[in-house]
Amino acid sequence: MRRSAVLTAGALAGAVALTGCSGSGAESGTDKAELAVSSSYMPQPVSADMAAGFLTITNEGAAEDTLTSVTSDVAGQVTMHSTVGGAMAEKSSFSIPAHGRLVFRSGGNHLMFEELKRAPKQGQTVAVKLTFATSGPLTVEMPVKSATYNPTTGH
Amino acid sequence: MRKKTFAAAALLAAATLTLSACGNGDDDTSPVAVVSGGSGSGKAATVLDQPFAKPDLVLTDTHGKKYDLRKETKGHPTLVYFGYTHCPDICPTTMSNIAVAKKALPKAEQDDLRVVFVTTDPGRDTPAELGKWLKGIDPQFIGLTGDFGKVQAGARALHIAVEPTTKDKNGKLVSMHGTQVIAFSPKTDAGYVLYGELATVDVYTKDLPKLVEGAKP
Repeated sequence: MRRSAVLTAGALAGAVALTGCSGSGAESGTDKAELAVSSSYMPQPVSADMAAGFLTITNEGAAEDTLTSVTSDVAGQVTMHSTVGGAMAEKSSFSIPAHGRLVFRSGGNHLMFEELKRAPKQGQTVAVKLTFATSGPLTVEMPVKSATYNPTTGH
Repeated sequence: MRKKTFAAAALLAAATLTLSACGNGDDDTSPVAVVSGGSGSGKAATVLDQPFAKPDLVLTDTHGKKYDLRKETKGHPTLVYFGYTHCPDICPTTMSNIAVAKKALPKAEQDDLRVVFVTTDPGRDTPAELGKWLKGIDPQFIGLTGDFGKVQAGARALHIAVEPTTKDKNGKLVSMHGTQVIAFSPKTDAGYVLYGELATVDVYTKDLPKLVEGAKP
């Protein structure tokens, strides 16, 4: 599976090199996932023991990676969920496709912070560590927004 | 199979790249695969051609008292939502959106409005638990709990499908929320507007002044 992805990427790089003008095809020659996190936020929770979190993980690289776990200093446990028609299902991992992204957003996939150690308040940040199958871990300072925050309108 | 499709797409992309190459090295045209669960329907409010009758729902409120939905909300603008408190995302967001929008109404209209949260998880949402949770959102909101069969029948009358709380493979309890808020008219007591999960504070703030009069938003 992984090998075939690498082979594909290799073939791709070859093709670019053969036809390239000055060998500047290198920018697409990386065969690793290149992950970055954006648009992270936590709505200030209503509940004393549970909160949701949202973020987007972008993969600029040519290989897929997998988000395997999430941890945070404010929660005893952070779980990952998908939502379909009002029912949420816990998932043990989420794929981040090559040249793609993984989106956690309200109404869809979401992170669930359980066993809260303190009540996150608007204006604070929450440290969140993301662990991947291949890439090194990423740490995000997730801002706590109002309970009604909407990332589309920005308030 | 999927891999093959991907490889073919990548090759195609590479071919396109070489054809148009020499100069514009930035391939910002690369396809972006979006993995997300959002529903694409962009409309927040739907006015129903055929309004729903208010469900004949008699449950227990957060004070432990019997609450007859039809009797208690008769003649009042009423919003009904089915959800549960162990819900991190949509349930608190929906109720918080309504709470914030409600504050923009004149005091008399705020008092006239009935916002009813019916739990789909009566096992965990006791009157006390429900009361504590709603108090953190808006103390005027009404929380109802009781027999799940009654809750499910009430939801079904509004074309909202909810299933009982189950245990997933890790032994965790999983509940279900409705995906709509139904607005009932104070004039006809019929449910005539549906709000989906995309309804923001702004949507409710704009619409509530109409809804409290039973007008179409």
